[in-house]
Amino acid sequence: MLTLFRIALRNIGRNRRRTSILVVTVAIGLLGTTLSMSLLWGIEQQMIETATATDLGHLQIHATGYNADPKISRLLSDGGKEIDGLLDGEPSVQAYSHRIRSEGLVTSPKASVGLRILGVDAEREPEVSSIKNWIVEGDYLSGKRRESIVGRRLANRLGVQIGDKVIISAQDTQGNMTAESIRITGIFRSVSSDIDSGYLFINLDQSAHIFGTHEAISEIVVVMNERQSALPLQAKLSMNRPHLEVLRWDQLRPFIAFMMDTTQSVAASFYLVIFVAMAFGIANVMMMSIFDRVREIGVMLALGMSRTRLLLLIITEGVLVTIIGTAIGLALSLGIVGALSEGVDFSFYSAGFNDFGVGSRIVPLLKPEDFILPIAISMLTAFMASLWPALRAVQLQPAEATRHE
Amino acid sequence: MSNYLKVVIILLLGSAQPSLALASLRPASPGMSATQIANRAEESLRGDQTVIQAQMTVRSPRLTQPRMIEFTSWDDRLGKRSFTRMEAPAKDKGTGFLKVHPNLWMYIPRVERTVRIPPSMMLQSWMGSDLTNDDLVRESSQTDDYDHRLLGIEDTVKNHPDREAYVVEYIPHEDTPVVWGKIIAWIDTERDVTLRQEFYDEDDVLIRTMQYQEIQPVEKRWVSHLWILTPEQKEGHETQVRIKRIEFDAEIDDTVFTKRNLKKGLR
Amino acid sequence: MNSLEFRLAWRSLGRNPRRTGLTLAATSFAMMLVVNMTGLSNGSHEEMVENGVRMASGHLSLMAPDHLEERTLEQPLAWTQSLRTHLESVPDIKGFAPRMDAFALVSHEESAQGMLIRGSDPTRENTVSEIEDRLTTGRFLRQGESREIVLGQKGAQTLGVELGDQVLLYGMAYSLESAYELFTVVGLVRFPDAELERTLAFISLEDAQAFFVYADRVTEVAILAEDSYQVEDLQNRLTQTLSNGDLRVHTWQEVVPELDQIIAIDKGGMYLILLLLTVVVGFGILNTILMAVLERKREFGILLALGLKPSKIFKVVYLESLLLAGVGIVIGLAISIPMVLYLQAHPIPITGNAAEGISQLNIEVSITSKFRASNPIRSTLIMMGVAVVAAFYPALKASRGQPIDVVQNA
Repeated sequence: MLTLFRIALRNIGRNRRRTSILVVTVAIGLLGTTLSMSLLWGIEQQMIETATATDLGHLQIHATGYNADPKISRLLSDGGKEIDGLLDGEPSVQAYSHRIRSEGLVTSPKASVGLRILGVDAEREPEVSSIKNWIVEGDYLSGKRRESIVGRRLANRLGVQIGDKVIISAQDTQGNMTAESIRITGIFRSVSSDIDSGYLFINLDQSAHIFGTHEAISEIVVVMNERQSALPLQAKLSMNRPHLEVLRWDQLRPFIAFMMDTTQSVAASFYLVIFVAMAFGIANVMMMSIFDRVREIGVMLALGMSRTRLLLLIITEGVLVTIIGTAIGLALSLGIVGALSEGVDFSFYSAGFNDFGVGSRIVPLLKPEDFILPIAISMLTAFMASLWPALRAVQLQPAEATRHE
Repeated sequence: MSNYLKVVIILLLGSAQPSLALASLRPASPGMSATQIANRAEESLRGDQTVIQAQMTVRSPRLTQPRMIEFTSWDDRLGKRSFTRMEAPAKDKGTGFLKVHPNLWMYIPRVERTVRIPPSMMLQSWMGSDLTNDDLVRESSQTDDYDHRLLGIEDTVKNHPDREAYVVEYIPHEDTPVVWGKIIAWIDTERDVTLRQEFYDEDDVLIRTMQYQEIQPVEKRWVSHLWILTPEQKEGHETQVRIKRIEFDAEIDDTVFTKRNLKKGLR
Repeated sequence: MNSLEFRLAWRSLGRNPRRTGLTLAATSFAMMLVVNMTGLSNGSHEEMVENGVRMASGHLSLMAPDHLEERTLEQPLAWTQSLRTHLESVPDIKGFAPRMDAFALVSHEESAQGMLIRGSDPTRENTVSEIEDRLTTGRFLRQGESREIVLGQKGAQTLGVELGDQVLLYGMAYSLESAYELFTVVGLVRFPDAELERTLAFISLEDAQAFFVYADRVTEVAILAEDSYQVEDLQNRLTQTLSNGDLRVHTWQEVVPELDQIIAIDKGGMYLILLLLTVVVGFGILNTILMAVLERKREFGILLALGLKPSKIFKVVYLESLLLAGVGIVIGLAISIPMVLYLQAHPIPITGNAAEGISQLNIEVSITSKFRASNPIRSTLIMMGVAVVAAFYPALKASRGQPIDVVQNA
């Protein structure tokens, strides 16, 4: 077996041209497959981020009944402390932040608009949403009193600019109507017209003051290291804390989940297409190279080499070459993905993208398990693709084979 | 019914030239401070329990003819409650609004239904006017929530050429929940009655003007019986409130402010 | 290109059917992949658009100027017989639905909820939004019936009402009068958006126009095109024929920019993947041709030894490869177009992993393809480009051999 292996290696080394063509085919095939996969992950990630980075997060924790009837009085009364403790101990949690979410109306000298009011922890909010990145005018919240940031569309409707005063009117937890004056300190533009026209962000303290929530908050928004780990965490929290309502992003916005499903189903068919392309490339070149060697095989048969041994030799060669190609392909794809860690900017593709900052980049993502399938497929293909022509070649009569062109 | 007064004061301000540079403005003699003047003007509108019967006229480019609403309102300032009953038009006759802090209920006799107005509806216009439901329940004081500055005295006021008035600038405190950058008020030097108010945004742009006409004595006060609100940037819009009857120190029975009374329809 | 070279190239293709077959297989297969991938990509985007716009304002939305920004009754759109007739006469319109959206308070006993009341034409609404597929109980509004209301499931829950209950609508009419009326709940619907499901309610257009005193006016007309590719063309046509200054034709991209964003991200990514696929199949073809050429070293050596100029050999080999690619493309097209069409006609339904949430929404997710004339044209151009590039090096290689050396070595 060892001898066979050595002969195979020598053959590979001797016919450099054939070897390099095969190696390149395998490497490119593997590179294409893994890069496509990384891009598909990247797209999915980007789409979800675009859709969820506004205010959704991966998990939202509320008091029971909140989602059916989101009243300001449905609060996490301990200010989320108990859950914070749990979340701090979860390695899968990347960040979380507290919010007070309510409805109210905002009045400027020119107009009155009913909207969603989100009291956020200025310091931690940027870890769970993109609001900070979306500021186009003025500044993000700094934690000072009377600050607020609104979307461009809402600012237009209210006819206000940075520094202008507006009045928030809302019902507090006791059912009292309260009013508070605040100033517009920042204007943002997000990817969502709803957020742009119907949300006002203020500091958490300010919210607590307006709504009289004291220490209590209405929601904890959680961002996971891996989106997938939202599910186990949800299950865990729901089981241990039945008084909480823990919902994933895809339950909160099924429409986005539905869009994602469409993409994923297409992604699945794309995997298929790319894998087939890779397999076919490898098979074709492999077969070509073995048919190329019919003469040589005939000579070896004539010299008395056993058919089984010869068959093994050819297959070993094929697999060895594939291993080299695979290694090169993987190294290249790791390198490229690493080099693209800043993301592929495709704003060239859609002019409107630049306006949104985050939306215009796809960052390829590779996970270790993504390599298993391409490697397995390339190996299997190489094996099958050498087996068939090799079988045919060794079945030839030596004399016939040596005459083969 | 100081709620309505407040509403009107806060909301219904109308059109006039920016008045700061008026030639006729002369320095006021030292005596009363701006805050005292403002206090007296506000007190002249206030009673602990007030009954108002009024007619509201709304003009809008949408309407071929002005829309008229008549109502009577009972206000208990200390109890933070009020009751309003519509008398006209026929369609709304008997419709009632009961405000018992912090809730607002409405009763519609034609369908015999009581509705509690939720906060999300508070911004809806009240009976089609420039007033909102929210204005009916919001509490704000012109004396406590503003800084006052006496700009001077004018011998004649645009809508009251024969009256002399203090010109007082009201600047809301930073935390006062009003949208105005400032309010300029003309307060009659003798009668303590506000004759005119101009509402500016923070860029000193005039947004609305309120003119108080038909000043007549009621009990021991001078009271305007016709308020005209003109929004500056909305062409063709105007809201007028004509006071038909006003009683400042009325004795209002507690049963007025009940849901039962609300459902009684027009007595 | 003279005929000798052409004949040489053609003959040599026929002489080695195995080599030709493998190369042909490589190109036709690559072509098939590109065409199918493009078809899948088109199919998925159009499915996204279709599902997305059905929930919003259709592919196109007629509105009065400024209504898109302001969204109040202040921007009325006259809903006239002539507009109706015109829309019916325009080809490529699959359905249209006039809508009158306004806010009102919906209450039942002690509970009340501010809702967006959508006055819709019972006979037309379904042609755009497929609202009847969203019903969970009861029925949708019916032509000829009045004072009926269809609520979202969550909205009904908030109000505590069931089918057959009466709710009170209270709002302000366009005439600045207060408006109130009792409506009977006849149906409940589900929406993929919880907020929408809590705050959107349907009454008949006639009722809405009476309630809000908005006779003969609507706030928008939602239009569904036969084909999402026609949206811009349809927009231009409608703008031209309807342009009388008081009407705007908006595309769904303007009405729901977030949907456009998500699809644009997806499309951008798909193009990158298509590029990768092109590289993969390009190398496949390059290597196949290269192998085939190397296999013929002997033949070229003899030709060179016989005095054939290297440039001639280059031309012959290049021509051979392009011929092969051309035939491969035709075969690829012949195989793949029926595949695309089949998948277009028979989408494969997906029972997705998010199915838990999705299934209740009555939305169908599927793998589907869409055939567009641009697809085979573009794919052919791509593959020709690939062949032109991929065949160059092997042809060069073939012409560079040493006559004697080659013969000896073989």
